[in-house]
Amino acid sequence: MIWQELRSRPWAVLSNSLAILLGVAALVAIRHITVHSEQEVSQQLAQLGANILVLPQEATLQDYYAADQNGGTIPEEHVSEIYLAGLTGVEQVSARLNVPANLGGHDVTFTGILPQSELEAQTSWQTTTLFTAPKDHEGCTKAKLSTANLESPESLVTHRAIQNLKANELVLGADVAERAAFSAGDTVELLGRSFTILGVLPATGTVDDSRVFAHLHTVQDASGSGPVCNAIEVIGCCEDAAGDLVPKLRKLLPSTKVVTISQVVQTQVGVNRLMANTSWFVLVVLVVVGGVSLAGAIAANVRERRREIGTLMALGATPRFVQRLFLGKALILGLTAGTLGCVIGLVTAILAGPSWAGVTVFVLPATSFIAVLMATALAIVSAWWPARHAAALDPCLCFQEV
Amino acid sequence: MIRLENVVKYYSRRGETVTAFKCEQLRIEPGEYVAIVGPSGSGKTTMLSLLGGMLSPSAGKVWLDDTSIYDLPAADRSALRSQRMGFVFQTFNLVPYLTALQNVQIPLCLLGQSAADQERRAAELLGRFGLGDRLHHRPSELSVGQQQRVALARTLVNDPRIILADEPTGNLDPASREVVLDAFDAAHREGRTIVMVTHDPVAASRASRSLTLREGELSAADGEQEANESPQRLSA
Repeated sequence: MIWQELRSRPWAVLSNSLAILLGVAALVAIRHITVHSEQEVSQQLAQLGANILVLPQEATLQDYYAADQNGGTIPEEHVSEIYLAGLTGVEQVSARLNVPANLGGHDVTFTGILPQSELEAQTSWQTTTLFTAPKDHEGCTKAKLSTANLESPESLVTHRAIQNLKANELVLGADVAERAAFSAGDTVELLGRSFTILGVLPATGTVDDSRVFAHLHTVQDASGSGPVCNAIEVIGCCEDAAGDLVPKLRKLLPSTKVVTISQVVQTQVGVNRLMANTSWFVLVVLVVVGGVSLAGAIAANVRERRREIGTLMALGATPRFVQRLFLGKALILGLTAGTLGCVIGLVTAILAGPSWAGVTVFVLPATSFIAVLMATALAIVSAWWPARHAAALDPCLCFQEV
Repeated sequence: MIRLENVVKYYSRRGETVTAFKCEQLRIEPGEYVAIVGPSGSGKTTMLSLLGGMLSPSAGKVWLDDTSIYDLPAADRSALRSQRMGFVFQTFNLVPYLTALQNVQIPLCLLGQSAADQERRAAELLGRFGLGDRLHHRPSELSVGQQQRVALARTLVNDPRIILADEPTGNLDPASREVVLDAFDAAHREGRTIVMVTHDPVAASRASRSLTLREGELSAADGEQEANESPQRLSA
């Protein structure tokens, strides 16, 4: 009977459960994007570890990966100053300079980086022994980055550094390589110079995908910028070391801005927190609007079916049967609205996640299941009082005229 | 046997108590065909509701055989209606979103019969009422006469011993009225008890006994007192 009644009024069914459907869709979409965004941030934090950024004083921070695209510059000699200071806990230093360029008809960011081999050479003739005997801070237990393999171009993604990069070599970000259809070993022209592609980086979902990496001095020469860079990344041996290094670096380089990775990702964390709070707000809206809307719809349904209810009771239906008739209807509505809302929310999250929050979204079965379950429970709770009212109706209503 | 004992039903309206129905003694024997006549507002429907176990009396007892039906819990009264009573309504009261077959299946569904048995029995009965080719039509797709025949099939599908009918011919043309009254005659011949509320003198004339309700009080119908009234059976 419930199915037959629902099938006879599909538009009423849709309108009755629309609020729950939209609420579940919004909730599922927001929760999926938030959870994946939080995972992304924690992955970034884990991957980037104890990174510190040395930036021009006027730089503003929104995205760690784009922190070196702030436009301002600082002298490249700060790199040597950091090494020569012999600060405890410094494992790696990487300078970056960005200039706009065009590669194969596509606009790209031409990013200059200083390979580690060159840094080692620079610092060794300046008599520091940093790389041969890095100074760990007391109690440091983290694996040493100095032991990491920086030979492969992929180390630019995993460790933000590369061991060797010749003056005429390039490493392409994933998007650049794909758009221009370049691969390792190809020879390309950039800013009037000829380069050999050393390798293509795997996709990261960050601005690094649209970069072309070259030797810092090559980029400086090609752009005529002189011996400057936009940012210096200082990688500490662990989080504790990074915390200790910040005040020391600020003292060493007072004309710069020194921030830790956690400060940079704070913006993203804030966005995540906002989205998490929004999802709770949506939950409240879902409960209040969806619940009230469905309760009203079931109550109206009971009113318009009074004579039918009376007839059923005259034919022998018990009050419990009548109550189950409406609770069953609510169950179907809640389950259907919850499932459809969940599917819509998932599709929205999967499609919009990359553009809205820069994250790839996968289905979270537990979240989806809980959302459907919640919608169903909400529908049943909302229908409880109207259903009880229906069960308490006077069977003599069957004798009333239409 | 149905028996009413000092039954009174009051309604309160705007602080005023109105007697809707009053009956000291009434016996309706098994297999009787009783017509209840009376003007509008005289309490006919109240009486039918009382007999059907759907309206608790303000005082008195309504007996069905040896059972005082209002001493039963509501669920048991529902079961009683489901197993022993059938209702016929003036406006048929078919469920609009169900087909003719599904409407007739309702009482069997409430009795907990299997879907196959329900369908077989309902189809058989609809066929007997000449609706074998209308099984899957909704009420809105049937003529008034066909709707009343579906309602009759629904009334008889659970093989009730008592049929309570509220103006069963009120909305029908003469031909359809004959079909309904013939069905009641057949049910009467089968030994079922029929209590029919009606305004229709033709319908009332088919009953074996007529009672008149005036302002909630029951008496033998005009001109039939001698034929039908018996001190043992009626004292109103």
